[in-house]
Amino acid sequence: MTHSQHHSEACRDTGRCPIVTFPEVVNIDEIKDEAPEVKTFYLSFLNPEVAPYFRIKSGQFIMCTVFGAGEFAVSLPPSPEHDRLHITVRSVGKVTDALHALRPGDKLGVRGPFGNGFPFATIKGKNIVYVAGGIGLIPLRSSIVHALQHRQDFGRIILLYGARSAGDLLYQADIEEWKKIDGFESFITIDRPEPGWQGQVGYVPNLIEKAKVPVEDTVAFVCGPPVMFNAVIAQLLKRGMSEDDIISTLERQMKCGIGKCQHCAIGRTLVCTDGPVYTYHQIKTLGEVI
Amino acid sequence: MYFLTTQDINDLARELQKTHAVYGPQVNAQTGQVFFDLLAESDLPDLEAAIPSMPVKEILFPQMERILKYSYDTQAQSVTLEKQYGEKLKVLFGLRPCDLAGIQCLDRFFLGQEFVDDVYLAHRRQSILITNTCTRPWDQCFCVCTHTGPAADEGFDLDLTRLDDGYLVQVGSEKGQALADTHGWATAERRRLAEKAAVVDRCVERFPDQAKDNKAWISRAMNRITTGFVKHEIWEYIGQQCFECGACSFVCPSCSCFNIEDVTLCGDSCERLRTRDSCSFSGYTRMAGDHNPRAPVEDRRNKRFFCKLSYTQSKKYLRPGCVGCGRCQLVCPGDIGLPNVVQYIRRETTE
Repeated sequence: MTHSQHHSEACRDTGRCPIVTFPEVVNIDEIKDEAPEVKTFYLSFLNPEVAPYFRIKSGQFIMCTVFGAGEFAVSLPPSPEHDRLHITVRSVGKVTDALHALRPGDKLGVRGPFGNGFPFATIKGKNIVYVAGGIGLIPLRSSIVHALQHRQDFGRIILLYGARSAGDLLYQADIEEWKKIDGFESFITIDRPEPGWQGQVGYVPNLIEKAKVPVEDTVAFVCGPPVMFNAVIAQLLKRGMSEDDIISTLERQMKCGIGKCQHCAIGRTLVCTDGPVYTYHQIKTLGEVI
Repeated sequence: MYFLTTQDINDLARELQKTHAVYGPQVNAQTGQVFFDLLAESDLPDLEAAIPSMPVKEILFPQMERILKYSYDTQAQSVTLEKQYGEKLKVLFGLRPCDLAGIQCLDRFFLGQEFVDDVYLAHRRQSILITNTCTRPWDQCFCVCTHTGPAADEGFDLDLTRLDDGYLVQVGSEKGQALADTHGWATAERRRLAEKAAVVDRCVERFPDQAKDNKAWISRAMNRITTGFVKHEIWEYIGQQCFECGACSFVCPSCSCFNIEDVTLCGDSCERLRTRDSCSFSGYTRMAGDHNPRAPVEDRRNKRFFCKLSYTQSKKYLRPGCVGCGRCQLVCPGDIGLPNVVQYIRRETTE
């Protein structure tokens, strides 16, 4: 089957042409243990014709098939440019457990990329504050790498990141690399003190004060568990940040990725096609509790 | 505009059967229920039959459909995939205007948004729609409230209306015109239009007062739902009535939610099934790790009526999501079919 047959023939001219219905097969080239129950899978398309068409935007996601188990939605951590295709997944259910049991050389199915992505066109010149908790760093990684690759386009780039323990911190090698880049500021914390940990201890919202997060000409990308999310939002609003400058990415059960199955509906929006990236102002006015 | 005898209509059905899968209404001899099914070679569509028990969407958006087959070899670490949905020529012969309106909703939703749904498109592309004007309402009907009947205005390929001495046939598309041209049907005189109008008027008169009376209330309920004016207690009451059986979604001509599941056939062979789903089920929004953002039942019920009746949702259908077939009212064990919900909202407003 040729590449064009795999793509939806009716795919609208939106400047992108994702794999819509029929999954493309990818090879698992390498598997890396990221943290307990979290693994990173490095992937490459079996059909070399597909790769050039598979262009991602930071903040998008794919529908990933684990053959024999099912399909799940997962955010794309690689940057749009010069980055290996990979996904980072925690095993939390039937399909992700099956994924974790796979070996290098096994195959996966991929549809996508789907979703709106982060609004990079409108935030040029601004400071970016990334606030992530636990595996919330996964959907933000793409935009961090992208922003650092275009360092001159932005003001300060600050990462506030926390996890339960030092072992739960993701992308530690990446973070070490990013720290070498001029003007990248990072504040990393773990919930409780532990032997050998030299860094901050405490919860992520406390870092906002410590980092003296700017408010003027600044956008915040926030992703993490609901408790952290709410506390961070409260802090940022208290500092005077506008609801439109706080940006987050939501997750929902998804089956199709193209706005048809309706499982990801929140009020009047569909997370798969309207989202997954929303401003806090939008989140508040979706018409349903998130 | 053509005029055909019953014999002509039967000939058309028989001829189409040679090249197409022809679906049409049939009365089950034992139960008296009407189903819109694939016609056997010897069968003809029963154009006098009542509104079918199940919506005609079953043919274009089946309850369960295999869309992909694959087998994987764990030893060789290889996988082969096979696309399963495809195009088959089919005719929907004698569908009721409410069901046509349902198909129009599905068309606009599946084909008219940012992405086109390939599976639905494959079904829809080569189907011919022949509608049948209703000459009487049935117990559950309220299409006069939703402007979807008793006659179809647009969206059909051919439209049939039973008159005293035959059928008025109106053409609604190039596909329909092509059928007319190949058969050389007799052109209908202008008076036939007046005869059709009389049939439609007589049908509308036979609707119960409550249905005619509710006309304005559908749009007023839409207004109140859209602006969030319906009290939470009303949604709670509706939620308490809900049995979470999902029947309303399965009999609704415009409900389009589906689930996708990979089912193991034997060993390493799997098929991907696309099955209809209902927003009333508690597992509908449950995510891996058991977090469920929409747990209380009134949240889920409210969602269905929001989907059918709010302006924002109606934008995707270019009309209200309800087509007035009344099937949800007929099957709901909790008495919260859509007309009743409108009644509850009406009662709350007038009190």
